[in-house]
Amino acid sequence: MIKAVWTGAVAAAAILLLSSPVSAQQTDTKTVSVNATVNARAKLTLGSAAITFADADPDVTPTLTATAFSVDVKARTTAAGTVSLTVSAPNFTSGSDSIPIGNLQWTATGTAFATPGTMSTSAISAGSWTGSGNQAGTHTYTLANSWAYNTGSYGTTITYTLTAP
Amino acid sequence: MSRWRLLSLALVVWVSAALAAPAGAQTSTATLSADIRTLAKLTLSAASVSFPDADPDVVGQIPSLGGPIAITAKSRATPASQVILTVVASDDLRSGIQTIAASAITWTVTGAGFQPGTLSKATPVTVAQWTGSGVRSGTQQLMFQNLWSYATGTYTASLTYTLSSP
Repeated sequence: MIKAVWTGAVAAAAILLLSSPVSAQQTDTKTVSVNATVNARAKLTLGSAAITFADADPDVTPTLTATAFSVDVKARTTAAGTVSLTVSAPNFTSGSDSIPIGNLQWTATGTAFATPGTMSTSAISAGSWTGSGNQAGTHTYTLANSWAYNTGSYGTTITYTLTAP
Repeated sequence: MSRWRLLSLALVVWVSAALAAPAGAQTSTATLSADIRTLAKLTLSAASVSFPDADPDVVGQIPSLGGPIAITAKSRATPASQVILTVVASDDLRSGIQTIAASAITWTVTGAGFQPGTLSKATPVTVAQWTGSGVRSGTQQLMFQNLWSYATGTYTASLTYTLSSP
């Protein structure tokens, strides 16, 4: 009987001494660092690539009006960066005849779009915004209809430039 | 069974046999017990992820470079208990004083028990959930919502994944 007790005691002691402890951990955590790059970017979309003024009697229609088109500005810049939209165009020409580009004007809709404006051969502001974002507006061009113009089919090209620093 | 456990068992049997042998027909018993407690072990294939710049009109959701994160979750749990893997952001994504909401990061998943979600800085969001003990594997593809409204910069944040085995 004594041997049996001793045997059990030794066995229990052996279990206690030799059993490895089991971890009580209930959670495990890992971290992942995230990095996202946002670069400066500018995108300008015009609703029309061509505008046309139809001929009209200057006494009846002293100002020719073209169909309005959309001007959509998208830009990414610094928080305080100035996004600017400028326009310019050379004079209208038809062969050797010309019409001063200053006779072309526009009106605009949309937040911070410049309105009204008068076209110039040098870049002039058509809008200015601070920071990133989308801006939607429209431009409607008008041309002074003068008796002084020589007949002809006049054309010019308007250049829009969007800048996001 | 671990090497320590096997050694323990062998020694106990040997000691019992050696001491009990002279007792002849007398028998004795020894109770063996194994203490198996809850345990959780989480392995991620990446410690960092990056989202490159892209045109928001072309790529509305930018996937992280390097592809999905491979996740392995090992857990010992009580029967019928829920083993949960969560993720939480330390803060919004920051570049100096500029921020992008943590919710701009979402994810898709593969693997049983894994679920898609949207990151939060306020509340841990469940990435996966299982019942009971086991080894589970899956992938998590992080995506970054790409908007024109963001100010330029290099934004950073830290994600903490936690595997809980109750």
